[in-house]
Amino acid sequence: MSFFKRYNPGVEWSDEGEVTLPIGSEPPLFEVYPSLCVSCLGEVGIDGYCVQCGQKAKSLRDHYEQSPTSWMAGVCDIGLIHVRNEDALALQGDEKRGVMVVCDGVTTSDNSDVASMAAARAAREVLWTTNPKGTGTPSSRAAVIEATLVRAVEAANQAVVGHTDPDSMSPAASTIAFAVIDAKMIACANLGDSRVYWLPDDGEPICASRDHSLAQDGIDAGAKRAEAEASSFAHTITKWLGRDAVDLDPYTNLIAIETPGWLIVCSDGLWNYVSEAVDFAQLVQTCLAEDSTPAGLATRLVNWANEQGGHDNITAACARIEVPDQLELPAEADPEAETEREIQSDNADSLVETDSFETTTPNE
Amino acid sequence: MAVFTSLVYQNEFLADGNTDVNAIVRIECSEAGTAGQTGVGDVGEIIIVDTSASMSLVNMQAAKDAAMVAVDTIVDGTFFGVIAGNHRPYLAFPRVTSGPGLVRMDPNNRQLAKRAIAAFRADGGTAIGSWLLLARALFRSIPSLAGKHVILLTDGENHNESVPQLDNAIRQCLGEFQADCRGIGVQWQVAEIRKIAQALLGTVDAIPSPRELPGVFQELIARSMARGVPDAQLRMWVPQGAQTVFVRQVSPTVEDLTHRGSGVDALTTSYPTGAWGDESRDYHICVRLPARALGTEQLAARVQLATGTAILTQGLVKAKWSADPSLTAQISPEVAHYTGQTELASAIQEGLAARAQGDAVTATQKLGRAVQLAAETGNAEATARLGRVVEVTDAATGTVRLKKNIDKADEMALDTASTKTTRIRG
Repeated sequence: MSFFKRYNPGVEWSDEGEVTLPIGSEPPLFEVYPSLCVSCLGEVGIDGYCVQCGQKAKSLRDHYEQSPTSWMAGVCDIGLIHVRNEDALALQGDEKRGVMVVCDGVTTSDNSDVASMAAARAAREVLWTTNPKGTGTPSSRAAVIEATLVRAVEAANQAVVGHTDPDSMSPAASTIAFAVIDAKMIACANLGDSRVYWLPDDGEPICASRDHSLAQDGIDAGAKRAEAEASSFAHTITKWLGRDAVDLDPYTNLIAIETPGWLIVCSDGLWNYVSEAVDFAQLVQTCLAEDSTPAGLATRLVNWANEQGGHDNITAACARIEVPDQLELPAEADPEAETEREIQSDNADSLVETDSFETTTPNE
Repeated sequence: MAVFTSLVYQNEFLADGNTDVNAIVRIECSEAGTAGQTGVGDVGEIIIVDTSASMSLVNMQAAKDAAMVAVDTIVDGTFFGVIAGNHRPYLAFPRVTSGPGLVRMDPNNRQLAKRAIAAFRADGGTAIGSWLLLARALFRSIPSLAGKHVILLTDGENHNESVPQLDNAIRQCLGEFQADCRGIGVQWQVAEIRKIAQALLGTVDAIPSPRELPGVFQELIARSMARGVPDAQLRMWVPQGAQTVFVRQVSPTVEDLTHRGSGVDALTTSYPTGAWGDESRDYHICVRLPARALGTEQLAARVQLATGTAILTQGLVKAKWSADPSLTAQISPEVAHYTGQTELASAIQEGLAARAQGDAVTATQKLGRAVQLAAETGNAEATARLGRVVEVTDAATGTVRLKKNIDKADEMALDTASTKTTRIRG
């Protein structure tokens, strides 16, 4: 029956009504529900509610956690008010290098939950498989990294458009914010109002991203942050991914890692309650006092946002960055790891691009 | 092929310990097509005209004119018949005594029917139950009918039948056909005719002047002919342990469906809604759930429109318990509006009933409340009608005085229109 698609778009069900995920796989793009109700063992209807007791079945998208490596973890949660989790989280990492991507689908657009997840994974794919080898000159290396960030945003945008119904009157839209941690360098970018915070152990905490929002426009025009962010239009974003995107030029930022610290990528479901970098750092310290692992921090940040009301979907991706052992000169120090990474990539385009990077860094 | 859509208006948030979920479900039908031509069966149309002795010359002539206009408006191919009713029902057309009791409309039958109508003359008493039972028998003689509709015109009380006789006839006709009922003059009983119309999923109205009758009949037939969906049911699923407090149609008119359901399965009940054309109707549902823990989200109801076993649209009514008073304290504007409109309808009916029994205190209080509700909910039509029955001192507080001399027609117009609702403003 076609009308159910509104509630549960695109899900394929077997004749038995079973939906299962392969072990170790990531959450699906679509809402997928278990087949039996956890409360009464009744059957879960295709609309996501038990046909006996009416309890809402938890979608596999409602809450998920990722920790690809010991120093990085993220939690994505539906919050307490929204009926669907339109935030998306995509992480990848090994001992030396990491990628964290957070997207926040716009609630008023169609299928933004599907689009945001597709966008996050597309950006991660580009950022992870494109590894500008060699050092080059600092300026040439920076140019290469910037180009990669832009390309990741473009790939994310194509993913959103690719998951948009051509007939949609309200095409899917999403924010994006991501960070790549590699070789003493944090490279981050964003479009919309998802954020990156860099909280060095020794130094001033900063918001490393820059919102594309009416609130930020107000701040630029001289308004106080607290006032601008409290206005009713504050969350109107001025740049986004999607078929009706007006400007895909991201804000980018390259930060040299000089001291250990925490890097957090998050959606506005978290920072709404703690916008200023100083306050954010304070909250992180409070959470770390209870659990100093990345997974513990991410969980506590999300729980804290839910305690504040959980008015929006909440995503927090956390990376603990140590220097110098962890990040020093990976390319030269461990060439084997590099080779391995290239083999992992099955994206022909990105391999070509990787090659072309080497031609742009002739001074090796 | 008709397209149905649904929209749910509600505040799904419940405070700790609260159990009642209210919602307005708007169901809209488009591309309904013409009755009898959508491939789901034939339709039958019966015109019943009161030909009792009380019908004045003017009213009788108007009734004949109206019945002829109705015959003109019935689409060719529709099964139809004409009943003249007094203390006995008389099948004026087709003139048959056995076999199929209705014939298909065509130019020849149209002329014959008009000739039969022209021969009507006022005589005898009134036994409306017997008219309905004849209509039922006529519809039953044509097995291919999917949609069955009656127009009933009367001018007087049901003198020749007891109340149980009429009630018994109505009961036998439940679900058999739909009946739009119209009264002419001031001798008929609004409550009696409303009982018939509500039971048979139709409308009731007073025709103030015989001149208007042909136009009214034409409109009623045209509307019936535009109902390409001959029969649909409102289905409501509620969770195990939940209780349906009420189910009401609240727009375009208030009709309580709560006790008219039949079980589909242990958790699903089906309520009759009759035929649908291109239109939208609002339903107010209230479900009482077992209280759940804060933060729990569950479904309170699945509200569906179905034809037979096919579900054409579904609205989800939800419940979410929250400790945040800014969320739980809000009442959905749609729910508030229709709660007021429903109370308005009963305040008018109860006020007029009290007035008829000489209970001026209750009448003043109820009609005062009606004036207040009509003002609050922006029902200008009800405000105007009330103003012909009471002197309004202050609409905001519902302070009114009963008028001494009321035009009976005004009172009946107020009564018959009491169930008509307005949609929310803005």
